[in-house]
Amino acid sequence: MPLIDELVALLGPERVRHHPLDLAVFAKDAGVTSGPVVAAVFPETAAEVAACVKLAVTHGVPIVPRGAGTGLAGGAVPIDPGLLIVVTRMNQIHEIDEIGRTAWVGPGLINLDLSTSLASRGLHFAPDPSSQRASTIGGNVGTNAGGPHCLADGTTVAHILAAELVTADGDIVIVGSDAPDLPGLDLRAVVVGSEGTLGIVTKVLVRLMQNPPNAATLLIGFSTIQDAAATVSRIIASGSIPAALEMMDRPMVEAVEAFVQAGYPTDVAAVLLAEVTGTGQSVADTTSLIESIAHSNNAASIRVATDSAERALLWKGRKSAFGAVSQKAPDYYLHDTVVPRTRLVEVLGQIYEIGERHGVEMLNVFHAGDGNLHPLVAFDANEPGMFERVRAAADEMVRASIEAGGTLSGEHGIGIEKRDLMPLVFNEADLDAQARIRDAFDPQRIMNPGKVLPSGSRCFDASGARL
Amino acid sequence: MGWVTDHPPRMEALDSCVACGLCLPVCPTFRLTGDETASPRGRLTAMKAVASHGMEVDERFAEMMSFCLQCRACETACPSMVPFGGVMEASRTEARTQVPVRRDWFRRLLLVNVLRSRFLLRVATIFAAVMQRIGLLIRLPVVGAQTRGLRPLSLPVRTTAGGTWGNPSGDVAMLLSGCVADVWFSDVHKATIEVLVAAGYRVEAPANQTCCGALAAHGGFADDARSMANCNIKAFASADVIVTDVAGCGAHLKVYGRYGDDGAGVAAKVRDVNEVVASAITDGRLPSFPTSGRKIGIQDPCHLEHGQHTATAVDVVIGAAGFTPIAIDRGGQCCGAAGLYQIDYPEISEQLGRMKADRVTDAGTTTVVSANAGCEMQLRRFLDDGYRIRHPIEVYRDRMMEDDRRPTTDD
Ligand SMILES: Cc1cc2nc3c(=O)[nH]c(=O)nc-3n(C[C@H](O)[C@H](O)[C@H](O)COP(=O)(O)OP(=O)(O)OC[C@H]3O[C@@H](n4cnc5c(N)ncnc54)[C@H](O)[C@@H]3O)c2cc1C
Ligand code: SF4
Ligand code: SF4
Repeated sequence: MPLIDELVALLGPERVRHHPLDLAVFAKDAGVTSGPVVAAVFPETAAEVAACVKLAVTHGVPIVPRGAGTGLAGGAVPIDPGLLIVVTRMNQIHEIDEIGRTAWVGPGLINLDLSTSLASRGLHFAPDPSSQRASTIGGNVGTNAGGPHCLADGTTVAHILAAELVTADGDIVIVGSDAPDLPGLDLRAVVVGSEGTLGIVTKVLVRLMQNPPNAATLLIGFSTIQDAAATVSRIIASGSIPAALEMMDRPMVEAVEAFVQAGYPTDVAAVLLAEVTGTGQSVADTTSLIESIAHSNNAASIRVATDSAERALLWKGRKSAFGAVSQKAPDYYLHDTVVPRTRLVEVLGQIYEIGERHGVEMLNVFHAGDGNLHPLVAFDANEPGMFERVRAAADEMVRASIEAGGTLSGEHGIGIEKRDLMPLVFNEADLDAQARIRDAFDPQRIMNPGKVLPSGSRCFDASGARL
Repeated sequence: MGWVTDHPPRMEALDSCVACGLCLPVCPTFRLTGDETASPRGRLTAMKAVASHGMEVDERFAEMMSFCLQCRACETACPSMVPFGGVMEASRTEARTQVPVRRDWFRRLLLVNVLRSRFLLRVATIFAAVMQRIGLLIRLPVVGAQTRGLRPLSLPVRTTAGGTWGNPSGDVAMLLSGCVADVWFSDVHKATIEVLVAAGYRVEAPANQTCCGALAAHGGFADDARSMANCNIKAFASADVIVTDVAGCGAHLKVYGRYGDDGAGVAAKVRDVNEVVASAITDGRLPSFPTSGRKIGIQDPCHLEHGQHTATAVDVVIGAAGFTPIAIDRGGQCCGAAGLYQIDYPEISEQLGRMKADRVTDAGTTTVVSANAGCEMQLRRFLDDGYRIRHPIEVYRDRMMEDDRRPTTDD
């Protein structure tokens, strides 16, 4: 029987999409690449996922796991005709351990839904990618997602205790556990961030954190990018790590403000959004420390929001940033590099210079606190030759970041779009080690093949087959 | 074959989607299915696939489009402000034109011929009123279940079109009498007129107006919708303000700008009655009453919240009537009424209706106001008889009347 028929027999027609228009719809995530899809299926249990995997293996069709498809690196986009295993229907909260502060959840659960449903218990899931109202926990695990509040709390990997995984053999295994220090290799940390190349996550044991009793959000305007960046360095140097420290330049602020109307100043060169959490006194102390640092670095305006509705609106602005870009141009391409915070001013200067030289429109929004830049080029893909120009400019920006001692990706993952830049940060031995781990999980290279590692990563990889 | 009609989805509108996916979680059909093809981004991608990548407008396209509730929650969520409602209507017209639709003639009869004709509406209403009195209405095939949500229909049928009320020298507030609203919700119109008159307006319901065309436009009858709009653009041209008390109609009048400059002129003057009354309360033309401590639940119709961005005006009106407004599921999902959707996708409509009814139950108020006739019917259908479901202006009017009857302390 053809693969589609077998899938339909397994899941029923409503849970197998394979009409040409369906395939066009599923061909992309939130990035710029698209790929050929054989079918998209919606299993509801680990057993169904395993059955789908076995069918795909039998038919020799590669498998691509997909959550909400908000990934920015083409992680959920097949390279060769592939089967999309979409886990959005596996969105249950299976059990919550309020005392141990953990929960077993389905991979399709939307990040923000988890925190919202925990609100009455005073708990939340800390990783808060800007896409958190749409992206799934499984996708967050896949890309080891970060977010504004990961500055103080760490990225997704620090909040995942264990995961249930369907492997390329169709076996259902559990990596990690709720024990504080498990003997043996920490495979959990290997799976987090593996972008669906090691298996499909079907259940996740997440760590929950207590909601802070008090919080203040500061919105600080600067008339130069340099002043804003210097303020960031000084805040970090002062030893008090705020819960979040975000920066947006003027073009980005303009786009965001048009949407949220939260009162972001649009007459300054850059804004910093800082959040301070804790108990009443410590919040007040840190807030005034940040205010005085900002003042001594020529802040043009400072607004402190403590009311939760006002804070939420300011954050909504920040978290809408990528989505608001189309007010400038219909497409965007962005990188996700990390640079040492001490060299923020310098690298930003280079990035603007590169943009100008290539004649492309630049917007910047980034996690300033940990030096995670998101230089974003807005463009119109319909203009002939435009994409190549954008890509060239963007790649140059990556090189500039890496030359300054930074790295390729802070949180969005490598997927297809950043794959061929991996040799900029890893040597042959590094790539070989990663490829060997992958082969140990998936010797047939059926799980999201061609992603993350450039072909030929495995030394002596005579076959030249796609990894 | 691509697009074939004169007004296909606008390319700039489609291009303004950057595919970020931030609209996915607010979309009821995506929430129920987890399926990208049932999401706003997926639907836009499908439109783009037809516009630029050679895909056909086929049955699957038609199905993807018709499965959308047209609640426009995705518009509110979209940071790129993609005008989704307009491209969806255009896509439906393309689908209707290119793919044979079952019982298309019947849909047109219902959405266009009946809604445009006061005579047919009246005949249908008399029939329904009689059936309702003898208990047979809810037994009718296809639509029976939905009619549980109707108010008791009055006989003889009362309508407003053609009437004028209030201070002859006041600002002219023209009332959109509407189609079914005029014959089934005449009590709401009555309350609207009374409150507007109290606020000092001269209220006119022009006789030459017709159905706003929302249902025709949503159903893919773009040409009919345009001709209805043109009729109203003439009828309402001289108004100072155009008032609607059905959120769905108001949201549609507010997009008349697509029909040219005259349309834009009319659209700019359209206000939901709650907006008008809330601002009259704020500037002292209408009274605020002391609070009684009693609570009233507020259901936010999509067409007020997403179509007109004025949901909070209802809070002001209910607060001024002396009640504590309790938002039910603000920012939540469509109740599933959505016009003909109830007939096209009865299970989904029912599922969403029950979910909304559960939110009302959670809120713990037994009186609920809704500023949209369709939502009101949907709520009544899924809540038990212990709940009172009213229009906010009726609540305000009742409070106003109560005060008129009570002797003041100075007497
Ligand atoms: C507006 C916007 C803002 C963003 N902001 C941030 C941000 O602040 N920080 C950040 O880190 N990212 C951000 N992203 C990127 C993206 O949202 C994250 O990478 C997110 O984790 C992806 O989740 P998803 O559910 O959409 O996964 P998808 O895009 O569907 O998949 C992402 C990757 O994970 C894999 N995957 C998905 N589900 C599973 C599973 N169950 N098992 C195994 N592998 C799986 C996929 O194969 C793919 O490689 C943003 C994106 C957008 C559009
Ligand atoms: S939120 Fe707007 S830009 Fe983003 S995918 Fe949805 S429609 Fe497109
Ligand atoms: S209008 Fe409503 S149902 Fe249709 S795509 Fe938008 S959110 Fe979904």
